Amino acid sequence: MSKIKALVVDDSKIMRSQVKRALDQLMIADFEYVEAMDGEDALDKFNNDDEIQMIFVDWNMPKMTGVELSRAVRDTGNTDIPIIMVTAEKSMGKVDKALNEGGANEYITKPFTADKMSKAISRYIGEDGGLVSENEDDDSEKKSFFSSILNS
Amino acid sequence: MITEELKKADTIPSEIIEIVRDSVINTFASISGDTPTCLEDEEPAGPLNGIIGNIAVFNPELTFSLMMAIPKETALNLSEAFIGVKLPFDSHDMGDLIAEIANILAGDVAASIEKVGFRGQSSLPTATRGSDLTLFMPNRPPSAKMKFTGAMGEFMLSMVLSESK
Repeated sequence: MSKIKALVVDDSKIMRSQVKRALDQLMIADFEYVEAMDGEDALDKFNNDDEIQMIFVDWNMPKMTGVELSRAVRDTGNTDIPIIMVTAEKSMGKVDKALNEGGANEYITKPFTADKMSKAISRYIGEDGGLVSENEDDDSEKKSFFSSILNS
Repeated sequence: MITEELKKADTIPSEIIEIVRDSVINTFASISGDTPTCLEDEEPAGPLNGIIGNIAVFNPELTFSLMMAIPKETALNLSEAFIGVKLPFDSHDMGDLIAEIANILAGDVAASIEKVGFRGQSSLPTATRGSDLTLFMPNRPPSAKMKFTGAMGEFMLSMVLSESK
């Protein structure tokens, strides 16, 4: 099984552990983790580690929010890396901001289950446990996802 | 505009109290799998030996401060339900956990009160552990207290409305 190096960003150590536990429970990939406790810490680690392939990021953190981190990653020209917001923020305005202004790919609200995590990330992971590159329908899929929340 | 109404209010409107009560119930149910019950008209009993999770939902004009008062036994049960192990009560991780529960609660409250016209954002959460703790509100701002009980044990929520500074 291929390894996927994931950057897990949350100012709560408990929540970083919860994200890692949920990902490990899925057994769809062999994850290796890099942890960061705020957006600045995460951006520094991301900029110094070319092997990071996915980012799981909280919204509400000191120094730099998850949305600011996501935008900063996208502004470096990195449009391919999947960014999954994992946050307690659940208003539609916040979802919209994360996906459209921040450039995040997915949005998971806390508390989450392994099943919820699976639904959010399974399309990024191939049968061999490696990362698959996003297809050109991504924007329409994102809009569809957003729409499904709005209509739920 | 609800913000203008709230700025003039002497008490927190019952509509807001109901929203927060429902958010507390939803949050604790989603975390623990047990749906707590709000004990209507029951005053919180005595000083707290436990941990308080603090957070605010605010906009430039008004702040809703939320204080979850969690007795020690309830906190231990919550840790077991949420992360699968009973954390030592005196540990840093216990503070982290209760702060995170406050954060999840505030996210739900912020989304719900936005639907009645109050658009705000959550502050960063904090937690305070101690014994013989009493919550009091200087200057008597609009406030509300609720007491809950369930399989996790009892806990309380205090809510205060104030002008943002």
